[in-house]
Amino acid sequence: MTLVVLMIAIPAVLTIISILVPSRIAGPLTALGGLCTAACIIAADLAAAAGAPAPDALSAVFLLPVAIIYGTVGLYTQWFVNTESPSQNAERYRREFLALTNAFACSEIVVPLLTNMGGLWVGLETTTILSALLIRLQGTAAALEAAWKYILIASCGLALGLVAVVLLYVSGIGPLGDHHVPQWAGYVSVAARLNPDAVRLAFIFALVGFGTKMGLAPMHAWLPDAHGAGPTPTSAMLSGALLSDALYAILRFAAIANIAVGHGMTHILFFIVGLTALFMAAFFLLQQRDIKRMLAYSSIEHMGVVASGLAFGAPLAVMGALLHAINHAASKSLAFFAAGRLTERYGTHEIAGIRGGVATLPVSGTLFALAGLSLAGLPPFGIFRSEIMILAGGFRTGAWALAVVVTLLLAVAFAGLLRWVNATSAGDRSATVPHGERFGVATFAMLLGFVVVLGLGLVVPPQLTQLLERAMAIVGQTS
Amino acid sequence: MTGLHQLTVPEAFAGTIAALLLLVQLALFRSVVLSELITLYAVQSLFVSAICLDVGLAGGELDLILLAALTFVFKVIVLPIYMRGLVRGVSTRVEIPSKVNVLLSLLIAAALVGIGCLTASQLPLKTGAFLPTADLATMLSIVFIGFLVAILRPNAFAQVIAFLTLENGVFFGAVTLAPGLPFVLGILILFDVLVAVVVFAVLVRILVALRSSAATTQLQELVG
Repeated sequence: MTLVVLMIAIPAVLTIISILVPSRIAGPLTALGGLCTAACIIAADLAAAAGAPAPDALSAVFLLPVAIIYGTVGLYTQWFVNTESPSQNAERYRREFLALTNAFACSEIVVPLLTNMGGLWVGLETTTILSALLIRLQGTAAALEAAWKYILIASCGLALGLVAVVLLYVSGIGPLGDHHVPQWAGYVSVAARLNPDAVRLAFIFALVGFGTKMGLAPMHAWLPDAHGAGPTPTSAMLSGALLSDALYAILRFAAIANIAVGHGMTHILFFIVGLTALFMAAFFLLQQRDIKRMLAYSSIEHMGVVASGLAFGAPLAVMGALLHAINHAASKSLAFFAAGRLTERYGTHEIAGIRGGVATLPVSGTLFALAGLSLAGLPPFGIFRSEIMILAGGFRTGAWALAVVVTLLLAVAFAGLLRWVNATSAGDRSATVPHGERFGVATFAMLLGFVVVLGLGLVVPPQLTQLLERAMAIVGQTS
Repeated sequence: MTGLHQLTVPEAFAGTIAALLLLVQLALFRSVVLSELITLYAVQSLFVSAICLDVGLAGGELDLILLAALTFVFKVIVLPIYMRGLVRGVSTRVEIPSKVNVLLSLLIAAALVGIGCLTASQLPLKTGAFLPTADLATMLSIVFIGFLVAILRPNAFAQVIAFLTLENGVFFGAVTLAPGLPFVLGILILFDVLVAVVVFAVLVRILVALRSSAATTQLQELVG
């Protein structure tokens, strides 16, 4: 319990500190706070793996992406606010950015801890409001457009999520009474007696509503804009942690639906949204011109992979899907951080304008290339492991045709990513762009992220396996 | 479902309000002036707070009566006044796309109401609600039409109103279908919506300052 209080209190207090004190003090404190929060989350996860009741294993799994990202984003932000702050009102921008970043991290931590279905909706809506403000901070016309589309689409989508909460409540009135508290555990305990039609409809609304936040196609329209136009640390937080938060909400609904009405419906719906996301992302990846939008489409692709894993229903595939959410968070945040360094040095987001990244920025360019290879699904990185688990699970269930389709779409996405990573990273450095970089907090943050990306590919710690197994039992997605 | 002859006064009142809510939602398509849209939102919110009060009084639920009062204060008085202040000095006409005119919009909306009714009729809900099937159909229809308004009206203010009416539909469903939904949650949802509106307002202000108009057709830089 102490750990839970600490992991929420640290970013909350840092939000207030960032408003009150100069950024030169709040910045390092944010970096330190991010690392301390990550340590608290890891300690809580170890307890959950050993069977501690709160937070439960599913919450613990979805806290990990936030730990990875908040632990590194605080460090990276040191470089970001000093380099990318506007020349006018720089200190005000820094303070606002740090305060909102800490508040956003706090809300991202709170969401996976919530098991009250109504509270979960409130938590997700709060993340939308805070992240929209962060996207707007860039002050450009593109940032305004992205923030507008994001808050409008996500809020309307979340309204459907609220319909899901109401329908779930209605389904529970019979067995739980007129005035029950909408706790997830309560619904699970009486799942067999819930109104099955209301549960079915609730899951559909949850998938569409929270799926909008998760970036599942065809509700993904906001995602490339928001990730592309927002500040780089925000893009990393949106892509790695926020999408996972929305997935967590969907899985809580799926867990109830799986008991109440069986796996068939959730499997089919996960397939539909998963394959649509993979298809859309794979082909959009081939024609990207903006480096951050390319990474955003890669996020849609990976959410499609996760949904496909949940749809296959084999234990190996479901475990792979949960692990994939963690691996994606690590690789994507690293890719965004490195892409931020490249765009700052080259002064453009256009892929055509970035050539010879490795020669120009030896650390950041190399790490961007490695993160790109990881996102493309190459060994020895974590994403390769989880994708293989998902596909092997799919083939093992006998869903050959679907597994082949997923494999083919992954191949298209692989080609798209590799094409752009090669284009930006390889070649000689440009004569007009200064080369070389100093080892600082940003490079340290990226190296820290890379250790996780590589580490999860080489070995999955037994505690994490244990945690994933417990989380699988909670979701009950396996058929 | 309760037969018409068995309806009590609160039940008949609830049914009437549900029909009026839907009519107001449909009227959003007819309106091309921002101040009219804000008035329609205020009227719809008045109906929502009235039904909240009705359910609260019928069931002797003090928390619902309090929620009705808060809804009235914030959604009928505070938000409309705040929004009227925002649109001051801005072009108040909402463009209607030539391809989907008012008549076609209403036809699509009627089809969405049909889908809402059909979905609700498939769900044999056993709740403490007065008219569970009609309430569910009304909630779904308002939500679907809210989406349609947001899509078909390329104006930032109109889209905010669409979101707010959509939220009114869900709030109506929560109050009528799940009156026991905890009071604290109701307050949190209300608070969240208010904060969202403030953020919407901040963005609209910047949009108007940058482009001298609230037309979202100008927001087409990010594609692909």
